[in-house]
Amino acid sequence: MAPLGRGHTVKAFSGELEQLTADVARMGGLAESLVSDAIEALVTRDIDLAMSVVERDKKLDDMQRDIEKQILRLLALRQPMAGDLRATISALKIISDLERVGDLAKSSARRVKPLSEIEPSALNKAVERMGRLVQGHLNQVLNAYATGKAEQAVGVWARDDDVDEHYAALFRELLTFMAEDKRLIGPGAHLLFVAKNLERIGDHATNIAEVVHFLVTGEELTRERPRGPRPELDAT
Amino acid sequence: MSDFDGNPLLSSSAPVRTPDRPRRRDIVITAGLGLSILIVLLSVGVIDLLPFLASAAALSALAFVYLLTAITSAQPLPARAPIATLKSGGESLADAILDRLETPVLLIGPGGRIERANPAARAFLGLANEGALLSTVLRQPSILEAVSAALRGESGSTVEYATLSPHESHVRAFVEPIKIETDGALPWRAMLCLSDETSAKRAERMRADFLANASHELRTPLASLAGFIDTLRGPAREDAKAQARFLSIMSDQTDRMRRLIDDLLSLSRVEMNEHILPDTQVDIAQVASEVVMALELVAQNRDMAIELIAPPEDERVLIHGDVDQIHEVIENLTQNALKYSHEGQRVVVEVLSSLSRDASEHLPERIGEMSARLTIAAPALDSQARYGVIRVRDEGDGIDRRYLPRLSERFYRVDGQKSGPKAGTGLGLAIVKHIVTRHRGGFTVESAPGVGSVFTVFFPLDQRSAKSAAAE
Repeated sequence: MAPLGRGHTVKAFSGELEQLTADVARMGGLAESLVSDAIEALVTRDIDLAMSVVERDKKLDDMQRDIEKQILRLLALRQPMAGDLRATISALKIISDLERVGDLAKSSARRVKPLSEIEPSALNKAVERMGRLVQGHLNQVLNAYATGKAEQAVGVWARDDDVDEHYAALFRELLTFMAEDKRLIGPGAHLLFVAKNLERIGDHATNIAEVVHFLVTGEELTRERPRGPRPELDAT
Repeated sequence: MSDFDGNPLLSSSAPVRTPDRPRRRDIVITAGLGLSILIVLLSVGVIDLLPFLASAAALSALAFVYLLTAITSAQPLPARAPIATLKSGGESLADAILDRLETPVLLIGPGGRIERANPAARAFLGLANEGALLSTVLRQPSILEAVSAALRGESGSTVEYATLSPHESHVRAFVEPIKIETDGALPWRAMLCLSDETSAKRAERMRADFLANASHELRTPLASLAGFIDTLRGPAREDAKAQARFLSIMSDQTDRMRRLIDDLLSLSRVEMNEHILPDTQVDIAQVASEVVMALELVAQNRDMAIELIAPPEDERVLIHGDVDQIHEVIENLTQNALKYSHEGQRVVVEVLSSLSRDASEHLPERIGEMSARLTIAAPALDSQARYGVIRVRDEGDGIDRRYLPRLSERFYRVDGQKSGPKAGTGLGLAIVKHIVTRHRGGFTVESAPGVGSVFTVFFPLDQRSAKSAAAE
């Protein structure tokens, strides 16, 4: 990935591209930690941690703005070509996915407070399991981005149906859960949104995987992604 | 500290450390000394010839035994820098200490560039070469912030972080600013020291979990036992028929409690060592055939067939593993398959070698049109790795897709299996999952109601066996 040693006529350009990759990775690290802390807060019913996630999401937005400026500057001054252009555009795409990931983590963290008011149920475990899976996917695509391993990114991309499977199972369980006791409809709805947020984060991870593939190989990932069950399409 | 390029101590060879036991030379000297004392005693006439010969023989036998232990206990240690004579004090000594340290230590320069990383740090972060930017290899925001602060010359700090993927680990990082003499405008460096505290954290949580699980799950059978004892003492004191019935229920309950405790202990043991990779070699094909042989009788008694499909006998499927744990995995899966099969059905245990990650995870064809597939545990993706695979397939009722994610949850039993004499403890698959994770392997399930289920576990092949298989 690091274009060091490929030798740009203007040496500073190599440095700038490398810095760009490092900054995107850093932003990825922050997004990952937001997702991880949101899940942690949900499981341990830690409202302070949840509030810190909401707070830190602002920082993620700031980072996105800074990196965007950096990219605009790079495009205007260096007019990158080929691999350099791909690196620049990929960074632009990835940061917008990461920003969305941060928003989804924030939205999940906001639901910790109402969810802490009811007894913890077995469903929390299911949400945690799904969350850890999604977190793992995000971690692996960001690793793939930092190390330039396209096949690792494709591996994560191909495994997104596992997330769908978890989501579908959770969706059905939540419906049963809410049908059993009317008082649980409120918390159940919150959990449903958390599950949906996690599923969306998984989708953003696959988006990033596609970008990494394009960045490394120069080709688009045109295969059809395997899809798991979709509760939205089920009549039940 | 200004020159980070040349490091004469990094050349690697594989030295063999001499054992701590008595060395051969010491043994020879000791035996010789004893022998000469005996000769002196013989010549002075204190002892006769026969006792002399006997004690000389005993002495040499003893020496021989020591010699053997001295030789056999010599084991090669992992490659370390060769022992070189160093000047006391000075940079090279500090370098040598740093390189031998098992704690990852890094020196971060301006802009967050890694200027120096000791071998432990390179291994820990998977760092190919120095000179990379820290944020590309260690994305933890808390650490990056602490490092930035140190690079501005502010005070150092200690931060903790946890990652769950690909493996759970808890790390405490110690960041401290260092000022160096330089011509440039940026004299500050940050020293970053990482210490892995996974074992401690894990032990803490395990103890809490074990207590919670044990007390929660043992309470029910215990309460029912207490109830029966009261009844036997009171109302049923004279009723022989009721007594017999109660005693048989009580015996079932105690059996269940024993199984529970066994499983809980087994789970705790596995969890405790989950982050330590086993270093012995196991032939999974052999273990699978042992399990199948042991369970064949059980299957016959219930009018079921159990079949083993394995590579030819001379081909070994070697993995790094703990043989008892691998045995437990295959046994648990096969027993489960038998438990949820019906009379006249067949259970197939299949062992495969050298499959890629994608091929290991699931069968090439789905078992049924509407089958659900789920990966319960999986190692980090590596397109180069090859795996030894065990698939256990049954023709039972199958599992509804909505239950699949919860299968490896502790004490989880799919609805309708919660009671009855053959009820499991609900820990079997949790144990399998933890053992597989410990072996850096994967665990998947595919199931279709009415068609059956396939449980797959796969483990990275031992490199040596992979090579020999390729050579053939």
